[in-house]
Amino acid sequence: MYEKHIMICGATGCLSSGSNQIAETLKEELEKQGVIDKYRLVMGGCPGFCEVGPIIVIYPDEVFYCRLKPKDMAELVEQHLIGGEIVERLLYKGPDVDAPARFYDTIPFYSKQKFNVLRNSGVIDPESIDEYIMRGGYRALRRALQMDSQAICDEVKDAGLRGRGGAGFPTGVKWGFTNKAPGPKKYIVCNADEGDPGAFMDRSILEGDPHAILEGMLIAGKACGADEGYIYCRAEYPLAIRRLKTAIQQAEEYGLLGSNILDSGFNFKMNIKEGAGAFVCGEETALLASIEGKRGMPRPRPPFPAQVGVFGKPTTINNVETLANIPLIVKEGGAAEYAKVGTEGSKGTKVFALAGKVRNTGLVEVPMGITIEEIIFDVGGGIQGGREFKAVQAGGPSGGCIPHDLINLPIDYDSLTKAGAIMGSGGLVVMDDRTCMVDLAKYFLSFTQKESCGKCTPCREGTKRMLEILERITEGEGKPEDLDTLDSLAHSIKDSSLCGLGQTCPNPVLTTIRYFRHEYEEHINEGYCRSGICKPLFQYLIDQDNCTGCRACVRVCPVEAIKGEKKEPHEIIQELCTRCGSCIEKCRQDCILITRVGSEADVSN
Amino acid sequence: MERFIDPCCEKCIHTKDTPCKDFVDCCVEGPICHESQECAQKRKNITEKVALDENFVIC
Repeated sequence: MYEKHIMICGATGCLSSGSNQIAETLKEELEKQGVIDKYRLVMGGCPGFCEVGPIIVIYPDEVFYCRLKPKDMAELVEQHLIGGEIVERLLYKGPDVDAPARFYDTIPFYSKQKFNVLRNSGVIDPESIDEYIMRGGYRALRRALQMDSQAICDEVKDAGLRGRGGAGFPTGVKWGFTNKAPGPKKYIVCNADEGDPGAFMDRSILEGDPHAILEGMLIAGKACGADEGYIYCRAEYPLAIRRLKTAIQQAEEYGLLGSNILDSGFNFKMNIKEGAGAFVCGEETALLASIEGKRGMPRPRPPFPAQVGVFGKPTTINNVETLANIPLIVKEGGAAEYAKVGTEGSKGTKVFALAGKVRNTGLVEVPMGITIEEIIFDVGGGIQGGREFKAVQAGGPSGGCIPHDLINLPIDYDSLTKAGAIMGSGGLVVMDDRTCMVDLAKYFLSFTQKESCGKCTPCREGTKRMLEILERITEGEGKPEDLDTLDSLAHSIKDSSLCGLGQTCPNPVLTTIRYFRHEYEEHINEGYCRSGICKPLFQYLIDQDNCTGCRACVRVCPVEAIKGEKKEPHEIIQELCTRCGSCIEKCRQDCILITRVGSEADVSN
Repeated sequence: MERFIDPCCEKCIHTKDTPCKDFVDCCVEGPICHESQECAQKRKNITEKVALDENFVIC
């Protein structure tokens, strides 16, 4: 028996901020003190709060230490583990708490979260099948093996689970199509090709709870009549792939994968296919082609994968998060329990990767129906630096931009679609008042344009033409007719592209035009970028009335474009200024102004 | 018995080649096919070693 369990976040985010070195130092300190045998050290899954990583949680005390450095480990061992006293300086502190906070119950980041999919992340050793079983794992499989296939599909339908990969198609209905498709050979494919910039939900689930995905796939296999599965995971996720391989090996050894699973007569073989990272391979028919060893390109549908899928056989394709929900639904009484959370049309929870200008970046799991305001301000802690919230990009490059005016919009499939966005896989990129919406649309379109596979003309050529127009606008060469041309091209691409990439990639442009048309018009008609992003379309000026002459901007300017004496208002030499933004970031008095090119001073914007 | 896959005694037959339908339930609540305090304790020892708190094990 161990006195305490030390869960060190071993997910990619914390690993990249040094959790491996922390684990090593902690081990050395425990050895030095001769107490290593009293404590269990586990490199666990992601507790979500990436902003404050590396993170250690100590059980059973439930103390959450964050922003750790290897040099903190000696104090942690002596004071907490040996001395029994919490190290206050290593607890979470922030403007959203009055005093250093200990754990879930006192850290606002966790206050509105509900852990379904992330139930085991950071709680179990992801490389231990025994721990997964202790947490109720594989019980839903055992139950499913005793059920009729249609009954499993019905339970998933009753739970109201919709696919978490983007489109939100009812999972139980999808399974029913494959189940009814003729033929003895069928496949289950797990789509782990997470490619949205800023999204890492699937990676964290795979790294933190790989057995949940295997169990979900096994149940899907029983429901669809499939005996083989593929996990299509991008090779950029080496930790997730390593943990999946370990999980598969363990499940095979335990007789939970392979032949005659739990003496039921049900067989299932699991394979991993590593993808090369093409965004288009997240599209199901391109993904299937890639599994078959062909170039990842989509094909027209019908026939749908449920009829003609991988290697020409009926195939069900589910996203990682969808599959992680399955064991919760198929367990005894699970469907009814599951349906209690969420809204009428969107049941359960949704995992989001919260990124951008929000204070608390990380992985969050919230009930469907929560508002954007709750996610950004209650969970996310508001905007960095106390600036103004401007918009949020939901659903990655295929999604849309939701403006401040819709801050009370509930996050569910139908509300997001109505607003012109999509749930997507769950990326939420938050923007403040210094984000240029034209530049944002250009960024996302340049991503999808590069990732377009080139098979169909509307996507290949249309995105290129749209991008050229956006580039012109941000360079100050926009034309009055550009907005109509963009709108027309966007709708043509959406209507005539072969796959989801083309059908959704104009969304960021369309939603930014819909909600921020005035910014486009300012760029085109007035040659002005109010956010100070498009360099030819603004200049910095120093507010002479408020500048205290502290010289902070002078010191930080890399091209010596700011002159002025100490305690006297400074001035920017426009001919030298490269508009790098270093001064505006540094000025404590907020007296660097973004103004129209050529203006003397314009504080109105 | 260090892991759930290890047999608690000669009465446990579960392996991947000779599967038992009750294996999953048996890991935490077992033994199911026979009665033995000693075998139950072996399972408890595995869970107690890693359980973070009293709510950790879910039956």
